[in-house]
Amino acid sequence: MGKPKFYDFCVHAVPDGENTIEQLTALARYFGYSGIALANHSDKLPQSWPELPSTDEVEVFRGIELVEENPSKLHGLIGKFRKSVDVLIVHGGSEAVNRAALENPRVDILNHPAFDKSSGLNQVLAKAAAENDVAIGLTLRPLLHSRGPRRVHLLSDLRANLDLARKYDVPLVLSSDAISCFDLRSPMEVLALAEICGLEEQEALEAMTTVPERIISRNSPGPGYIREGIEVLEGGDYF
Amino acid sequence: MKRLLPSLRAKKRYLAFELISEGPVSRSELVKEVMFSASSLLGDVTASECDIRVLGFEDSKGIIQCSHTKVKETRASLATLTRINGKRATLHILGTSGTVKRATEKFLQNHMVFELKSK
Repeated sequence: MGKPKFYDFCVHAVPDGENTIEQLTALARYFGYSGIALANHSDKLPQSWPELPSTDEVEVFRGIELVEENPSKLHGLIGKFRKSVDVLIVHGGSEAVNRAALENPRVDILNHPAFDKSSGLNQVLAKAAAENDVAIGLTLRPLLHSRGPRRVHLLSDLRANLDLARKYDVPLVLSSDAISCFDLRSPMEVLALAEICGLEEQEALEAMTTVPERIISRNSPGPGYIREGIEVLEGGDYF
Repeated sequence: MKRLLPSLRAKKRYLAFELISEGPVSRSELVKEVMFSASSLLGDVTASECDIRVLGFEDSKGIIQCSHTKVKETRASLATLTRINGKRATLHILGTSGTVKRATEKFLQNHMVFELKSK
């Protein structure tokens, strides 16, 4: 096994964040990421899609973080953007939105599902997430910026979600949710922080390497990729 | 006072780091912020076990000492450093080593600190 490839699947660039995608890409490359996904919030989209910088070392994927309170409108937005993006993230944070996102197999990641006094997941939603292969996004920015009681609260929500995810085998994705260059951290530091926050070493590694890779291969299938639900039968004359 | 025998001294690791920040930062400001973020993430008890000490800090590069069993905790607490004296900053660890000499030679000499290009 060679060096693992690290991905950061949620960074926000101008006009949603502060820095341009070029600056974020340069820093991500310097930190040793293999790919990042530009995922601006859907209520702060630029007029047209920015030209994504293409470098040999860092792949920049096209993503979006959908912000919508109404579940039926959310399903509409998912249908509208699904074809044009590589990574589709839903901005969680209420019971209805979490449920709508986790029950839709076209969603890739549900970010920060927690809302007041609840971690945002329960056994029903966790089962749905595992069935539809929707990953739970663990975002780093709130953990870095808050201190004291607020962070205690965030961490206990994280642990509750983690227990559910382990029990029902829900995929996890670690991302920075960076709105400026100063929110990015190098992969080793993200891993260390994730382990301190309760993830196992292997879980944290998978959340930054294999799970993002699987999302990408699912959404941009190359030749030879077998879609879910299709079975290849070897040999025999069927016609 | 007589110095401890080498075999009795606590083993350490030295983390070479660079600081990517909005403006120049002094050593004392950095030390204050490092200790504060460690005790806030890990709690005072674990932070004391980590034995974190900022050894040198010059030109946005430096070395931080920690206990050899607590490298992960130290890394995590350094990652949560977001602001130093109101200036936004990121502490990027370049590598770890068992001696100051090796850490300096391997990671800090000839190292150019990353600079954000302005728009």
